[in-house]
Amino acid sequence: MGIRFNEVSYGYSSFAQGLYTAIKDINLEITEKNEFIALVGHTGSGKSTLAKHMNALIFPTSGTLEIFGHTITNKRNKKIKYNDIRKKVGLVFQFPEYQLFEETVEKDIMFGPMNFQITKEEAKKLAKQSLKLVGLDDSYLSRNPYNLSGGEKKRVSIAGILAMDPDILVLDEPTSGLDPAGKRILMDLFKNINETTGKTIIIITHDMDLVYQYFNRVLVMNDGHLMFDGKTEALFQKEDVTDYHLDYPNTIKVLKYLNQELNLNMNVFQKTTAEALAEIKRAVKL
Amino acid sequence: MSYIEIKNLTFSYNEKTNVLEDVNLEINKGEWIAVLGHNGSGKSTLAKTLVGLLEPQKGEISIDGLIMNDEFAYEIRKKIGIVFQNPDNQFVGVTVRDDIAFGMENLCVPREEMLEKIGFYAEKVNMLKFLDSEPANLSGGQKQRVAIAGILAMQSDIIIFDEATSMLDPFSREELIKYIKTLHQDGLTIIMITHDINEALLADRILVMNKGKVYAFEDTEEIMKKKSIFTDSHLELPVSLDLANALTETQEYKEIREKLWEYALMK
Repeated sequence: MGIRFNEVSYGYSSFAQGLYTAIKDINLEITEKNEFIALVGHTGSGKSTLAKHMNALIFPTSGTLEIFGHTITNKRNKKIKYNDIRKKVGLVFQFPEYQLFEETVEKDIMFGPMNFQITKEEAKKLAKQSLKLVGLDDSYLSRNPYNLSGGEKKRVSIAGILAMDPDILVLDEPTSGLDPAGKRILMDLFKNINETTGKTIIIITHDMDLVYQYFNRVLVMNDGHLMFDGKTEALFQKEDVTDYHLDYPNTIKVLKYLNQELNLNMNVFQKTTAEALAEIKRAVKL
Repeated sequence: MSYIEIKNLTFSYNEKTNVLEDVNLEINKGEWIAVLGHNGSGKSTLAKTLVGLLEPQKGEISIDGLIMNDEFAYEIRKKIGIVFQNPDNQFVGVTVRDDIAFGMENLCVPREEMLEKIGFYAEKVNMLKFLDSEPANLSGGQKQRVAIAGILAMQSDIIIFDEATSMLDPFSREELIKYIKTLHQDGLTIIMITHDINEALLADRILVMNKGKVYAFEDTEEIMKKKSIFTDSHLELPVSLDLANALTETQEYKEIREKLWEYALMK
């Protein structure tokens, strides 16, 4: 059992808005192995608040949260070693590259694991391994993180979390700010880590094309509620996705337009351009 | 003479590799330009040299006939505003009202006039209700609109959007795009740096940057027919045009190709 939300709600209080409930009555189960999950929703829908619960960075206002056997409630429990939870569930914030601070890539990646009582040698070994996982070779170890490109910085910061060897990895919009090629490289990398190590990966994103092409399971947040938890295909087959302030993937939108304009009867649920192309050709042949 | 002229512009941060190399561009008043390019292609550096935040090693920039140098930089900066990617990085005021006032304060606009303008431009970007709101209570899209109001209040007529939509959710993004369209209709010159090809399609012309150089600068419709420009520059065409280009130019696909183009260029 990885993470389970039981009727979890979380409220912020602020002078301006009074009590504001960011997430409401969330019930959700995430297994600790082999899951690849997209978490979507408009800004302010509660996605980030949901993610912050996953490694007990914040505690539920009401309801309970189970993370690897520890039960989290709204009170801090002295018996729980929160550090253990944070080692099991790694959280990567948006624009993690702003958090790089050491003078070499190696030191930066070692920083995390060194907090968990291991030797310097072990940490160095972990740094090397996790750098390889994110697709960078050893020559990067001695480089200054500030002189790397945006995409490289992102990968180094992700390696820093991987070095702590979490079972579950939660990433908040890891591909934002990258060009299309950089996006795909990073997504392929996550998929690869997921498949080779079996780590469960949860990714917050706004990019419906990526959601459709890469993920099996998708969680949709809207106004603090978990509106959908299921297969990606099933989500986009729904007629009312826009009610959740979501868009359809581009392949679906384009094929729908062709169907409507040319009175065709194509199956619009094609994930890639190649599949869409095959469907167009099939329809024309008929 | 064009409204914005860039001649032989070369810029480097470390004097070893040029981030911009011999860039030559002419942009007309009221045009909407989209700038595409891979990460590190020099897009943002170009924007920063245009607003005078970075000084090029070689070359010349002139805007509305004024050459960017110590004498005119101040004048030029009034004409041109920039909206950055991260809305939190440019919100300097304690409230929306303060933030819109910031630019005008630097220009020593008299108080009465300033108050009037704050109201006028806050209304224009649909933020009048939020004048007393703090940034913490605003969404990313709202903060971006406040930044625009601040620029408009300085009477700037060129706005650069440096990936201004990339941190917004699709809904706020669409809202901002709608707003940029009205700015364009009002006659402002728009330079929009983006990774989103669907956004770029809205522009009159598209500039493709590749390794610090101008790789192509053509009318939107023309450039979209040239797939190699995009593949060479590690960029992707929109799904609709990828499909249109992949369908052979035979009669059986003619109608579909036309509809795919129509879809891509819908504004």
